[in-house]
Amino acid sequence: MIKKFNDLNYYELLKIQYNASSFEVRQAYKNILAIYEESSLATYALFAEDERKAILGKIEKAFSTLIDDEKRNAYDKSLVDIGEIPKNLLTAKERQKAIPLIQVNTAMTKDNNLARIRKKIKEQGTGKLASVMLNRDFISGQDLKNLRESLGIELEEVFEATKISPTALEAIERDDLTNLPPKIYLKSFLKSYAEVLQLDAKQLVEGYVKNMEKS
Amino acid sequence: MKRIYSIGGGKGGSGKSFIAASLGILLAKQGKKVVLVDLDLGASNLHTLLGQRIPQRGLDAFIDKTTNSLEDVALSTTIPNLYLISSTKCSLEIANLFYAQKLKVINAIKNLPFAYVLLDLGPGINFNTLDFFLIATEGLFVATPEPTAIENTFVFIKSIYLRKLKLALKEANMWHICQEEVAQLSKGALKSPLDLINILVGRNLENGTVFKDLLSGLKFSLILNKFRGQVTEDLGEQLVEVCNRHLYPSFDFLGNISYDSRVYESILARNIFIRKYPYTKTVSDLQNMARRLTGEKQQPIQIKALK
Repeated sequence: MIKKFNDLNYYELLKIQYNASSFEVRQAYKNILAIYEESSLATYALFAEDERKAILGKIEKAFSTLIDDEKRNAYDKSLVDIGEIPKNLLTAKERQKAIPLIQVNTAMTKDNNLARIRKKIKEQGTGKLASVMLNRDFISGQDLKNLRESLGIELEEVFEATKISPTALEAIERDDLTNLPPKIYLKSFLKSYAEVLQLDAKQLVEGYVKNMEKS
Repeated sequence: MKRIYSIGGGKGGSGKSFIAASLGILLAKQGKKVVLVDLDLGASNLHTLLGQRIPQRGLDAFIDKTTNSLEDVALSTTIPNLYLISSTKCSLEIANLFYAQKLKVINAIKNLPFAYVLLDLGPGINFNTLDFFLIATEGLFVATPEPTAIENTFVFIKSIYLRKLKLALKEANMWHICQEEVAQLSKGALKSPLDLINILVGRNLENGTVFKDLLSGLKFSLILNKFRGQVTEDLGEQLVEVCNRHLYPSFDFLGNISYDSRVYESILARNIFIRKYPYTKTVSDLQNMARRLTGEKQQPIQIKALK
């Protein structure tokens, strides 16, 4: 009965492409085990004990060969040598790389982002504009926005650095009283904002709150 | 083109007759001319599933030569386009049909002038059942998703396989050559019919491939009945894949048919389930199956514009 089965090469056995990634090999191995393992409802009555043993042995061998890059290359070569697969099939298509489960964009992490903002501030210099703003009694959101834009810093960058939601940041910059967060949060938000732009936090908070209460 | 489907599968009570009757009704509703042949000799009850009283005429009239044509005993049913050849009136010893009688019935079935011929077979693997099963252009195995039924289905498939091989060998006058092997095979010394083919291939390449082709020409489909969702939905696909990998005929999975306790109720009341409960999952499963057999696509619902 297992003659037809025995003729299959490892790829045919696992039902995968010749350029399958290691992830696909693993998946295929799991699927085929579900069919042939001892408890499987689909096959337990079909095979004798030794037949099943032989089949599972072959599956095991196929998996251990294809999952190991070195062994797999040697096996591919042997398949080419006996003409089972054309030579160009291996060289033409690169073996698919496994797709990572989680992709972390390092450019956007908090530390990198903060460093980038620092760099911009260093290049442009907060200098004059900032000192003019801070010396005023009333500081509006528009002032903050002007300063930020003059430094070439995006709102998203402030969000990345402070984790204050963009809607809250926008409300602060537009002096949008109805959408501003409660005062206690507002103060700490302003403090964080000031730290990012390397301003004096106390002065900024005082000026902003005064301006807010005035209107 | 005429199509003959045989509905079998080793285990009793798996719903062969129910599926035969239901598919017959649904095919007839599609406008095809269909005949159901009750070949569960000695235990025929297809008429009950069709909501019919015990038919007065059937296969017996053909076997005892009251009539010369099998078509004569195909009785019309309450469903237009659907005809039934019953075997209720056959003698109580009908289960042991003589070989010549069997050949006569087989030939007559092959020549029935209907677009679709559905053969409802009995359980077990006796020669009559196997030979009737092999008449078909496509064999349908009915199993339930239970170990007992699946075991029996494999036994049935293996027996069909062996029977086909044996008949082919006899026809090719090769029987005497491999009689010994086959004798051993029947005793279980050879694990399966495939081993025999491999022996033949080894001995005589040409003849071996002839048998391979012969078996590859067989077409089987699997139906899982009384599906309740305790086992994986892939079970049918898995079974078919294993069969395709290890055996020569081509296997196809026709689908699961959901379990519905009202099937039992409707049989008790001698009603036609499809008529009584047309909007159940079970019926829509059967509907899909009938469409697959005829290749007919589902008609989109037509909505008339209001004037």
